[in-house]
Amino acid sequence: MTAPDAARKYDLGFARWVRDNVDGGDKLSMCMQCGVCSGSCPIGTQMDYGPRKLFMMIRAGMKEEVMTSNTMWSCTSCYRCVVRCPRGVPVTYILQDLAAKSVELGYANPNDNTRFSKSFWWSAKTWGRTDERLVTARYYFSFGLKEGMRRSLDNLKIAYCMIKAGRMHLGMPHKVKDKKGLQAILKKAAEIEQRESGS
Amino acid sequence: MAAKGKAGTKFTFYPGCSSQGSSLHLDESIRAVAPEIGLELEELDDWNCCGASVGRIGGGQLPNMTLTGRNLAKAQGQGKQDVVTACAACYLNTHGGNEKIKKDVKLRAGVNEALAEADLSYDDDLQVRHMCEVIVNDIGVDKIKSRVKNPLKGLKVAGYVGCQTVRPFAGTDDGGKYDTYEDPNFLDDFAEACGAEAVEFDVKTNCCGGSVAVMSPERTLHLIKRIVEAAVEAGADVISTPCPLCQTNVEMYQDAINKKYGTNHQIPVVFYSQLMAVAFGMDAKKDAALHRNTIRSEKLEAMAKK
Ligand code: SF4
Ligand code: SF4
Repeated sequence: MTAPDAARKYDLGFARWVRDNVDGGDKLSMCMQCGVCSGSCPIGTQMDYGPRKLFMMIRAGMKEEVMTSNTMWSCTSCYRCVVRCPRGVPVTYILQDLAAKSVELGYANPNDNTRFSKSFWWSAKTWGRTDERLVTARYYFSFGLKEGMRRSLDNLKIAYCMIKAGRMHLGMPHKVKDKKGLQAILKKAAEIEQRESGS
Repeated sequence: MAAKGKAGTKFTFYPGCSSQGSSLHLDESIRAVAPEIGLELEELDDWNCCGASVGRIGGGQLPNMTLTGRNLAKAQGQGKQDVVTACAACYLNTHGGNEKIKKDVKLRAGVNEALAEADLSYDDDLQVRHMCEVIVNDIGVDKIKSRVKNPLKGLKVAGYVGCQTVRPFAGTDDGGKYDTYEDPNFLDDFAEACGAEAVEFDVKTNCCGGSVAVMSPERTLHLIKRIVEAAVEAGADVISTPCPLCQTNVEMYQDAINKKYGTNHQIPVVFYSQLMAVAFGMDAKKDAALHRNTIRSEKLEAMAKK
């Protein structure tokens, strides 16, 4: 752990905030720092901090470092940590909700995951279904025209193989029959969420 | 036995978005083999996306949950029978969401308030199950064996289970307690029931990178490399998997792996249901959908009925 730094603002209320606001955060106090989660994580070596360390940092009130870390954005949702944790800490769920909260509270810069999630949700709310082709294209071009072209070209062979195998849908996107109803439902759900978080 | 399975063989079938794209071959082969093993699948009416692993970030907690709520409301309209899906992500979200909505009164109220916009509601006690769990618990491996007309003799299969088909629900009561997390056997059992040989494959529950492999492939190529290499070292002719994203990732990134690491891998990755279709003597194209694999298995195709 980084040594305490007098200049750094520790937010000792942070652990409490996580407990009360983050999905699964109420179980965080069960963590006994064994490290099974980090040791089991397929992508732990690419994380700024593994889950174990991140959880210790939450206890230490290192809000800024936790909320801006790449840890939750690296998680592949493999759930290995969840089934192995000897203390029943829902690690994956906590990371997922921390990721969402870091966007909502303005900590997260656009990254691969936020860009992809945005493209994905566009398809889900517009058509009610995922159009893998359009989600991928929107994702690639969210980096700008040049990068979008580069990524598209990089994946040309894959796209060609998928089209040949009939596994890339061409033409109008598949959609739900009741598009209007679906859109109204999702709009309402977003309003309710807004309302509840305001209260 | 599954916790509260209604013991019928009729199911409301939720195919999921990949069934109309990258995993058309899972969908085609599942629909082909289902009646053979005594499963009646009635498609979920006007189903929508499950939200996958990124819907929560993209759309927010309640909107993402409401996607599941809408599917459940539609399923409720179709009867009391269990809902079944063959997609790992659809299962994770819909099964997990269903259990949460059933238990969390406030969440359920929010979901139903939103659903009311389209005159829908969910207040039932449905079960959402994975196809593999249904095959293990309700159908049984012997039933598979009994349908085999064309045993896959000599085909060596590496059973690659992946993550979300078993984690985090396979060992829970609601998830039907159908196998273990660390060393699940069901996929090997399916292959052997088809007359194939299941090879020792110790990375069977490793992660392929999931959606991170789609967004940032350079971060996860080493994970897929490990899976491919373990299968090759075990002498497998094909990798078999139940998961749409595993199938696509492990198949389509072999070129990138070869380029990055100077290797020369070309191992086919098929769905367990494609193996069943071939073993049941069904049509190579229409039922087993073997033409949809971008890395084709000559050995498997030679065994299949044309
Ligand atoms: S495995 Fe569980 S108890 Fe161990 S460090 Fe991780 S979260 Fe804490
Ligand atoms: S679910 Fe996420 S944090 Fe947990 S082991 Fe898998 S990648 Fe690591």
